[in-house]
Amino acid sequence: MSIIDKLMKIHTLSILLFLYFPIAIVVLSSFNEYREFTSFKFTTKWYESLIQNSTVWKAFNNSLSVAMLCALISVVLGFLSAYGLLRASTAFKSSIEPVLYIPIIIPEITEALSLLLFYNFLSFPLGFFSVLIGHIAFSISFVFVVSKARLAGFDRSLEEASMTLGANQIQTFIKITLPLSAPGIAASTLLAFTLSWDDFIKTVFTTGPGFQTIPLVIWSQSARGGVSPELNALTSLMLIISITLSYLYVKMMRK
Amino acid sequence: MGFLKIEMGILKHTWIRKASLYILIPSLSFLAIFFYTPFIIVLLYSIGVIGRDGVISLNPTFNYFIEALNPLYLRVILNSLYLAALTTISCLIIAYPAAYYIALKTSYRLRSLLIVAVVLPYWISFLLRTYALMTILSSLNMLFTYQAVMIGMIYDYLPFMILPLYVNLEKLDKSLLEASYTLGASPIKTFFKVTLPLSIQGIVAGCILVFVPATGEFIVPYMLGGISVTTIGTLTWDLFLKFHNWWRGAALSIIYIFIVLAILIVYVRKIGGVEL
Repeated sequence: MSIIDKLMKIHTLSILLFLYFPIAIVVLSSFNEYREFTSFKFTTKWYESLIQNSTVWKAFNNSLSVAMLCALISVVLGFLSAYGLLRASTAFKSSIEPVLYIPIIIPEITEALSLLLFYNFLSFPLGFFSVLIGHIAFSISFVFVVSKARLAGFDRSLEEASMTLGANQIQTFIKITLPLSAPGIAASTLLAFTLSWDDFIKTVFTTGPGFQTIPLVIWSQSARGGVSPELNALTSLMLIISITLSYLYVKMMRK
Repeated sequence: MGFLKIEMGILKHTWIRKASLYILIPSLSFLAIFFYTPFIIVLLYSIGVIGRDGVISLNPTFNYFIEALNPLYLRVILNSLYLAALTTISCLIIAYPAAYYIALKTSYRLRSLLIVAVVLPYWISFLLRTYALMTILSSLNMLFTYQAVMIGMIYDYLPFMILPLYVNLEKLDKSLLEASYTLGASPIKTFFKVTLPLSIQGIVAGCILVFVPATGEFIVPYMLGGISVTTIGTLTWDLFLKFHNWWRGAALSIIYIFIVLAILIVYVRKIGGVEL
């Protein structure tokens, strides 16, 4: 191994350390009795006070219901569009694809404020539904991209065989296409769920009075440098959920 | 009879080709209503066609654009572009050797482990990661400085640079490198004459993935910079959620969208198609 290779190895490992160190600190200090890092004594009291906090519980329920509905709806819509587009002519595909891609490229903040103005213009009540719609609007595109990648490696002759053997298109879709694309669908469900579960910018722009999700709770309590042990506990919980979801996603995409 | 069945199968197949286009309708109409129409609404606000209380007037005005182009806002726009450019370059310099190492110098087992380690932060929201960084920066008494914002930007965007670089470098044909060595080129010359030019697609993809969202970044400057750093993102937040000056905010975002589109078009034209 040359010196350059060794340096690159050290560099790579320091990057990983840089990426994970703050996360490790937050998780560690959420179990720390003291507010400073300098001394450590194990406690779960911050988590106990978190469980008793009704604002957090309400926000948790809100986050969960929005994320689950968002995942369900955007997976159906995103998967169907990937499935449909795969069978379209090249010309049609190349004109429609950008329409489905653009929501990924556009910076989220412009998307968020445009929805706010849209709702305002229509006097649409802000709250659960306005947030949910916003989340679906960008999750569809991510699901589309993932499903498209999965469906691209799909052996089409299996569908043709099914139809030749007399199955109708709906039977073929349910018995052949769906089971074969199950890993892709599961992976994109996880992706859509995480996108919605984690989302802050779109939520803060499209929410109304009284409707808070967990990211909004973290934001409002941490604004302008407010670091607290309860917040560390809440952030740690969210971090652990995100890491678990992403790990599952990576596992599924490998299948 | 069997023959007839096959015929029917083919017929059904062409039928499904057409029918499958109809299943695009739900998602396309959803996006048309809740993604594209809102942008038209922003445009209508920015030229004053939609006024207070949603009243429509047919006298378009450019006053809001003139307001949004005042020297103070222009400086904010330039600051954001500068911050995004600095972030992109720093991320590229930091990420490239790591992506190179992971893609070309590791065993299969180690590589898949490292890639999972790089991908995981991709999935954690900026809010959580920035908060994690904030706990450290606050105990170092570094909060609310430009350095804190820079560290935060690099911290948040680094995975977005490493991954496309890795994906690109991993596809690199190693025999080209060997050929270069065999023909007497030094490792440094090989890097600049072979590896770097061949990885340009990955560099472009990474730069777009970092630069475009970084220009509108809001969480990092707000949480780590306080009031010391103003960007398009924080200005948009203030205009919409603090001052409710929707018309000027709309004009500013139209300008911003055009800047983003212009950058994307120049990039894609120069390199000719980008795989994100």
